[in-house]
Amino acid sequence: MRMNAILMGVLLAAAPAFAAPEGKPGGRPMDVSGGHDHAAMMRDMGKATAWTLYPTLKARMSGESRETMKTAIVPQNIVAASIDAWSNNLKDGKAHRQLMMEMGGAMLDKPASGGFHWLSAREEQGDTVRVASTVYPFGERGAKNPTAMFMQQKHELEIIPQPYPREHSRYRAGEDWQFLVRFNGSPLPGQKVYLETSNGSMAEFVADVQGVVTLRVPDDFKAEEESKAAGTHNHGRAGAEFVLATEHVDSGKTWLTAFNSSYGKNAYDQRSLTLGLGFTLLGMLGAAPLLRKRKTAKKSKEADHA
Amino acid sequence: MLKTLFPTLGRFRFTVQIAMLFVTVYGGALLGSYTVDRISQALPSLSCAYDKLTGDHCILIVNQHQFHHRVGEALAKAQDITLKVFIPTLMSVGVFFMFFFFLNKAFCGWVCPLGTVQELLYRIGRRLDRPLNRFTPANVGRVRPVKWLLLLLLVLALPTMAGMGVVGNDLGDPFCQVCPSRIATTLLTANTEQIAVRTSTNVNFFLGAAGNALFGFIIIAALAARQPFCRICPLLSWNALFQKLSPMRLVKKQYDKCEKCGVCEKACPMDIHEIGSEHGKKAFHEDCTLCGRCAEFCPDDDVIQIRFFGIKLFGSSREYYKKRVKQESPEGMPKKRVINIRFDKPKTEHE
Repeated sequence: MRMNAILMGVLLAAAPAFAAPEGKPGGRPMDVSGGHDHAAMMRDMGKATAWTLYPTLKARMSGESRETMKTAIVPQNIVAASIDAWSNNLKDGKAHRQLMMEMGGAMLDKPASGGFHWLSAREEQGDTVRVASTVYPFGERGAKNPTAMFMQQKHELEIIPQPYPREHSRYRAGEDWQFLVRFNGSPLPGQKVYLETSNGSMAEFVADVQGVVTLRVPDDFKAEEESKAAGTHNHGRAGAEFVLATEHVDSGKTWLTAFNSSYGKNAYDQRSLTLGLGFTLLGMLGAAPLLRKRKTAKKSKEADHA
Repeated sequence: MLKTLFPTLGRFRFTVQIAMLFVTVYGGALLGSYTVDRISQALPSLSCAYDKLTGDHCILIVNQHQFHHRVGEALAKAQDITLKVFIPTLMSVGVFFMFFFFLNKAFCGWVCPLGTVQELLYRIGRRLDRPLNRFTPANVGRVRPVKWLLLLLLVLALPTMAGMGVVGNDLGDPFCQVCPSRIATTLLTANTEQIAVRTSTNVNFFLGAAGNALFGFIIIAALAARQPFCRICPLLSWNALFQKLSPMRLVKKQYDKCEKCGVCEKACPMDIHEIGSEHGKKAFHEDCTLCGRCAEFCPDDDVIQIRFFGIKLFGSSREYYKKRVKQESPEGMPKKRVINIRFDKPKTEHE
């Protein structure tokens, strides 16, 4: 009995320690949009997007992509002849590939080892190097932990999510997510990092002594977008895009790196805690009669004693 | 040493349950963010994917998504329903079976976080001297089909129909929206997001309200009834489909004294009366969660056993029974220290 009480006590004491910190799992594939307009796709590549001048990578899934497990990666605001793709498993044959640009973008297919991919496009002009990076997760993530792949150095200046949202979770408005900023593998404390979103928000963050930036995803969705999204195929999960960018000068050369991804609405958007608690209480009241000892049983006990 | 640490099967099971509660509810925090992607994503227990820290999640969310996004959509497009459409589902079932093969229904009685929460509440109810509300065999018979109905309707039919476009997409994961484990496990991580009911569509609101009411009902009912949700859990019926394929079994021999005894029926938290009246395959009922209490409280040697590949892991024993009943009754009433809290109006002097 004492052991049971100790075990129960440990459980109760541990619960607050494991309280989910603000902003954790989010995790959906990038926003995808179907499209078979090849001319439009070609025009899109390298073209400035309306909401940011920073370089970004966009994933476009074709109609059969779910079965073929392929998606087109389109660079925006950056001109690149190829896209570098790193997969979950650094030891297999498809760990690092160069995907050549075709009509409509660079085609990415899912290897057997798993679905997390780090994608980068690189543009060098004179003394300036510009890099656009993103993470694309296929439906099946694979068994390999992608952390080692994320942390492997790929470029000089990097912004790396710490961590990237896992499956069944995503970046969401109002949540805090951390990113490591480093140059040649070393963290950059005090580095300024700029945020822009497709909903129009802008912000500036500064990396701490460990080179980590804590991003508060802005809650900037408009009301009409929320009502349109409800009941859609995405189960009401409307999305927007964000890009984190930073610039560093070293030995006369300028590096600009940007990491982009999608984010969703605030977790409590179109949810009511008050109503939820109310219905829970209703259910509890429904079960309350089960807690009362039956009077007939009590009376028969008393009669027996008499 | 094992016997010193765990003098009874009940104590051992309780320890495993608490350990698995930590893994299923907090595993991501303990073992890394991507743990859930690495273990199975097809656990035969109600470990919830909405729990941001989960170490692994149940197969039912995977089933719903696959029937919604693959099977249903393939039917809607009038595509050939080839094996290719079912490959992801078959792979998930394969992963599920890799785990289920070894533990069978013990995932219900030893691993499931919601099962553990209900048992903890029941223990609290015993300490608070709350009445035990048992199901009669007739009532058990009425309740048993409900879990199959929930499996067929909420896990399979409605997600498929959502994928086909027959019903709205907000019915793509209807069981998850009413599952009490979603609220219980997320509350255990101090996350109130899931107890907040969705208001985006009427369907979301209705299902959310039903789920919250069910959760509230279950946590109170568990104080005075054993495993109230387990009786209607669609994962119990899903696991029952594969029950006969696992070498882990509950085995009961035919024994003359069983007719007059019936202690195992009292000990069974699922009120399976067949454990007392039947033997052989009929005694290992689809509702069984392999908790082992029937074997613990059987007063005769080796009448009830838990076996793996024919090897006895635990068997009933008279000596064990005598020690066990000194700790608690077959219904789970502890033999020491009950906290009396009056729910009834106190008697006056005239009474």
